[in-house]
Parts: sequence; C-alpha cells; structure tokens
Amino acid sequence: MSAAFQFDDNPCRPRHFRPPPCTPVVPDGPAKRALEGCRPRLFIATIAFLAAFGVIAGRLVQVTLLPSGISVPRIARFESPPPPALGRADIVDRQGKLLASTLDSPSLYADPRQILDAADAAQKLAATLPGLDRAAVYAKLTSGKGFVWIKRHLTPDQAYAVNQLGLPGLQFQHEERRVYPYGALLSHVVGFTGIDDNGEAGIERGLDDSLRRRQQPMQLSIDLRLQYILHEELARVVNDFTAKGGAGLIMNVNTGEILAMVSLPDFDPSHPDTLDPDHPNWTIAERMFNRVTLGDYEIGSVFKIFTTAMGLDSGATSMTGRFDATYPIHIGRFTISDYHGKHRWESVPEILMYSSNIGEAKIALAVGGDRQQQYLRRFGLLSSPNIELKEVGKPHYPAKWREVSVMTIGFGHGISETPLQVATAGAALVNGGVLRPATLLKLPPGGAPEGTRVISQQTSDEMRQLLRMVVLYGTGEMVDAPGYVVGGKTGTADKVEGKHYAERKLLSSFLGAFPMTAPKYLALVMVDEPHPNKWSHGFATAGWTAAPAVGRTIVRIAPLLGVQPVDESSPEIVHALTPESMQGKHVEAY
Amino acid sequence: MIKLPTLFWLIVVTTAGFAMFAVKYEVQALADQLARTAKQADNTERSIRALEAEWAYLNRPDALAQMNQQLLSLVPIATKQLHTDVTDIPMRPVPPPPPAPAETVAASDPAASAPQTPAGPAPQSAVAQNPPAQSPATQSPAAQTPAPQSQPAEAPRPVVTAALEAPTTTRSIKPAIAAKPAAVRKTPPHRAASLNELIAQIVESR
Repeated sequence: MSAAFQFDDNPCRPRHFRPPPCTPVVPDGPAKRALEGCRPRLFIATIAFLAAFGVIAGRLVQVTLLPSGISVPRIARFESPPPPALGRADIVDRQGKLLASTLDSPSLYADPRQILDAADAAQKLAATLPGLDRAAVYAKLTSGKGFVWIKRHLTPDQAYAVNQLGLPGLQFQHEERRVYPYGALLSHVVGFTGIDDNGEAGIERGLDDSLRRRQQPMQLSIDLRLQYILHEELARVVNDFTAKGGAGLIMNVNTGEILAMVSLPDFDPSHPDTLDPDHPNWTIAERMFNRVTLGDYEIGSVFKIFTTAMGLDSGATSMTGRFDATYPIHIGRFTISDYHGKHRWESVPEILMYSSNIGEAKIALAVGGDRQQQYLRRFGLLSSPNIELKEVGKPHYPAKWREVSVMTIGFGHGISETPLQVATAGAALVNGGVLRPATLLKLPPGGAPEGTRVISQQTSDEMRQLLRMVVLYGTGEMVDAPGYVVGGKTGTADKVEGKHYAERKLLSSFLGAFPMTAPKYLALVMVDEPHPNKWSHGFATAGWTAAPAVGRTIVRIAPLLGVQPVDESSPEIVHALTPESMQGKHVEAY
Repeated sequence: MIKLPTLFWLIVVTTAGFAMFAVKYEVQALADQLARTAKQADNTERSIRALEAEWAYLNRPDALAQMNQQLLSLVPIATKQLHTDVTDIPMRPVPPPPPAPAETVAASDPAASAPQTPAGPAPQSAVAQNPPAQSPATQSPAAQTPAPQSQPAEAPRPVVTAALEAPTTTRSIKPAIAAKPAAVRKTPPHRAASLNELIAQIVESR
C-alpha cells in the first residue's frame, strides 16, 4: 500500500500537511493485470499513428520534392475573374464588317457638395463638353444636392478630357451604348435598341434574346457592299421619279440568303425618332416602315410569273399554248383589258412578254381556282413571310375565291403580297423549282436548307426562258445589263385607294434574276408612286423606273459576286434560253 | 541550456513559418498582378471595340465614295473591262494608216519620206537609213532583232495577214520618230493577233 492511500484514508490527517512528491505507483494484483493488458493495444495504436504519419510524410515528399509522374497540378486552381460582360453581342455582315456594336459610354455626374469652385468647374466643363450650357451647369453644381447628372453618354475622348480637368467631385458612371457605324444604310435590317438595350426594330428586335445571350457576334447574310449599291440605286430611282418610297432586295436564289434589303424612306438607328433634315416631309412612322417585309402591295404584273408557272406546271397549258387576247373580258362590273396588248391570239411566251392581262386571266381560268390556291399556298404566297424580323406583314386576298378573283389574281390584282414573299417565290421559279425560306443570317457553306419542291425542274427551265424573253423582247427591255443574261418581269399596278384603284398612283416593280443560264442571284426593286420625268418621256411604268434600276444594280454587283459577263449573243446561250417553239422564229418586239 | 532536439525543432518551425509567409505574399502579389493584367486586358478589349467601331465608321461606303470623288476619281469597272482570263483580252486593233499626217511629215522631212514610198518592208528600210539610230536599239532588246527575219520564215499562219498590215502602222510612225534618232525604239514589226501568238513570238526570239 502506498503512503498516499494511507494519508487519504486517514480522516485525522492534519490539514496543513502536504504529502511528499509521488513515488511511482507500482501496481500489483488486478491493477497490474489491467495495465499489462493495455500494452499491446497501446502498441497497435502507436503503429497505426506512425503508419498514418508515415504516409503523410511520404506523400509530402513525393508531391513536393520528387518529380513525380502523378498528375498533380503545379499551380493551384485559381478562379480567374469572369470575362467582363460585354453586353449585347455585335452584329456583323457576311464579311465580318461591324454593323452594330456595344461601346463604353461613361456618363458624367457630380456631387455638388464636393465641388470647390462651382463657377470655375462650370466654365471648364462647358468649354470641354460640347452642348453644355455654362449657366445650367452652374445651377446644377450649386443646387446643394448630393447627385446631379452633368452629361450622359460621353465619348471616350470626352471622358478623357474631363479627367484631364482634374476637378474634384466629378464621377463617371459606367454605361454602355449601342452604336451603328453605317447609320441609315442598314436601318431596316439591323434596326435599333431603345433604353435598357431592348431591341426595338429589325434584327435587334427579332433576335433580341439571342443577342443578349451570345458572346460571339451575330453574322448576317447581308453584304455591306451590295447593300450600299442597292441603297444608292434605289435612292436614285426614288429621287429621279420623286416617288413616295421604294423597296429593294437582293437574294441568293439557291440558298435563300438575303444579301441586301433596302426600304426607303429609312431612318438613322442612332436617332430613330428625329426627322430627316433632307426630307422633312418623311414622317417618323413612314421612315420606320419596312416596305420589304411589312408592307403588302398589289404587285401587279410581276405576279403573272406565278400564274404562268402554275399553268405550265399543272399541265393546264404549255409553251405552245395559245389564248385569245383580242378583246377585253367583261365580267360583272369589271373589264379586263390590256395595257401593252397586241389584241390578237397570243402564245404563252407572248402573253408573259407583252404582259397581257387578258391572256393571264385565261391561263388562270384554265388552271382553275382550287389549283391556283394550292399553288399559291405552296409558293408561300398565302401566308405570312418567314424571316428573322418581327416586322412582317401578311398577304391579303379575297376570302371567297370567285371566278373574277381567279382571273384578277391571275394578273396580280386583288391579292397583295410583301416584296419579300414575291422574291422568295420568284427565286423558287428560277432555281430549279425548290422553295427555300428567306433568311437574314449567313448560312455556312453548303448549309442551304433542303427546301420544298414547288414546281418541276422542267417548268423552272421554261420559266427561265420566258423571263429571258421578257427582257429581250418584252416589257423589260430597259434592264440593260449586257453580259449578265438578266431575265425578269416588270409590274406596274395602280394603287388601291379605299375601294377603288387610284389613277396615276402607280406601284412599279421589277423582279430580275441573273445569269439566266443558271440563276444565282435575284434582285427586286419596287418604286412606290413614281412620277414621270423628262427622261422617261412621261412614263412611270416599271419598264422605265424599276427595270433600269435593277439593271444598274446588277451591273455593279455582279463583279462583286463573282458573276462573269458572257457573250449573250453566243449561239449556245441564245439556244438554251429560247423556247423550243420559238427557235429560229422572228419575235415581234414589244 | 536548450537541448539539441529543441533547438532543431525551433529552427524547423521558424524556417517553415518564414517559408509559408514568403509563399503567401508571393501568391498575393501574383494574384494582384493577375487582376491588374485582367483589367488591362479588359481595357484593351474595350479600346479595340471602340477602335473597330471607329474603323467601321471611317469606312462608310458613302464616305469612301466621297473621298474617291475628291481624290481618286475611280469609276466602277465597266462590264466590257471584265474578262475571265488573259486570252479573252483582244489584241489592240490595227489602226488604218492616216494618210494626211504622213504627207505633212513627208513634206517637212524629205529624208524620212524615202521609206514611205515603198509599200513593202518599210521598217527595215527605215532602220537601214539610220544606222546610228539602230545601234542603241539593238543593244537593249537584242533578243528581238532576229524576230523579223525568222517570223516570215516560220510556217505560214493565219496571222500572216496581220503581219502584212503591221508595217503600215510602223510606216506612219517611223518617219516622225526617225527625226529624233535618240528616241527610236525598236517596235516589233509583227503584231500578234492573239496572246498565244505573242507568247510564241517571244519564245521564238529567245
């Protein structure tokens, strides 16, 4: 027994007594046995800990000192700062030219309580920033408020200049702004954004969500050079004939890509709600209106190509078919007569060449109302056009398809279409008969949609011959783009006003494709209310307005598109583009 | 007195501590640098965007057209100027001999009128009359001199008609040039009718 036990056991132990330092307890008996049992466990625990530390040490050495083959990242994963949000995606043309971009545009504000010398600051600011009134700035800086805007959306140069002033109490608020370097050139295609970067028109509106989300620029099918040329030529014809407006479209007939799209009057996307100083009579609503996709027009004789195509494709008539166009047709209160007519029996090519209303009405009758509707639906002419824009109109046609409707629609009256639809369907007539939806987005090479066949290859070949004849001998003689084998169709329609056709208010259009041997591109020009001028000898019909504009456009764009001029009088081309029934015959010129 | 193991551990701990802080500060510095670089890259990116927009603005087609009008006066290529390959380009047409100027030259320069009268190989005779004029010419395009002799000797080609016409042009030009011997240039006497012809001539003359 140890001494400690003895002391602790003794109740009479004096309280001041301190036990001597402990001597090791030598257990015996059951305690000793218990301790003996502990030893192996202690040993095992020690081994386990040693092993664990050994592993850690070994791993440390391996990772830090030895050039190990184990793939241990040499640098700890560092969360790089996220790429700065650059806001809305850019819009570029098919060659990558910047059409719309988002730029930093800092806004300047001030804390008047920190301004030391308001008069001096106002003086300096007014001298630095154009359009600032010194007195107004002074009033703001002495207002005693904690926050006043001095100027919103500065240019980088202006921001730099303000920084150089070194005035205390001025701060910049980071803001962004959408810029459109080409201004009005692409107004209806690209559109514009309003406050909070909301797309308000054009692609900006049509593909708003996509533009907000994506990082890569959005590439359009538009070619800036073609857009410029079309814009210039359309503006020229609109000016020359003091027209109300115009629409123009260039399309790749084999892919449906729109290479240029112009609607006049147009607007500057940077200042969409201001009047044009050059044309003060153009209202804002008029300038915003996209005539290519939103406006629907009775396109008149251009529509005859569809009637002829359905007549040939359905078998209702053939290239050698003939119709009596001697006398006007009287039906109900209508009289269908010819403007350019020859007043005799005309063959199908002649009917299109001389743009005979009577002839086309008779072809439409031969096709029949039901089949006519079927074909028009197939051409996409009875439904809204499909395009990446929100500004789309819809065709108007009679709810009840009566006999007189069949006839008038046959030559393009009593049905109104957007120019976009006419071009899209027109492309299908010449490209071999396949309708492909029009698109404003660039397609990858070989990425043209399969499309739907609307007419047979043979009908398409015949249509190419017919459209070529129209330009060679018919109403499209003024196209004048030698070497590019243009084919097309003119259309001059009287505009509808209320319930009547307005005399002397014309809508002149021309739809042309080239080269007709194997059409690649299509150009459509529509002039709204052209007025005759001296040069046109008092005419404002399509042959004198839209057709020459298309011709001038084609001559300028063909070299850019890589279309080689050819000798149009070469026997192969003449032979390929002359209908069999007219080979070697003399064609009476229009 | 500190025992040896204690000293050892003290040194290890101190070293480890210093090493740790050194690494920590280095990492901090690197992180700062990274943030700075990222900001700089962002600024550069924004500058590039601004500059790209400016570039696009400066390259507006209407602005370029205006500058062209003021400075260059370039016009669009006419359709007839476009050709798929060089062989499509027609050779320069042979102008008909203008009789009136030839007579005035003949009157003013009797020495040069001599080669005008023979209808045959005019250029040779003109050259023969002016031996000093020929010497500088023969030096530079020496390779071309055998061409006139060898050309007619070649197998007859349809081009021969052109070869017969060619001297008429040289005849009208030659006397005028002969007045200034230093300016005499050796014109190829034979004008090829096509590019292939011309290439053949050049190859032959070598």
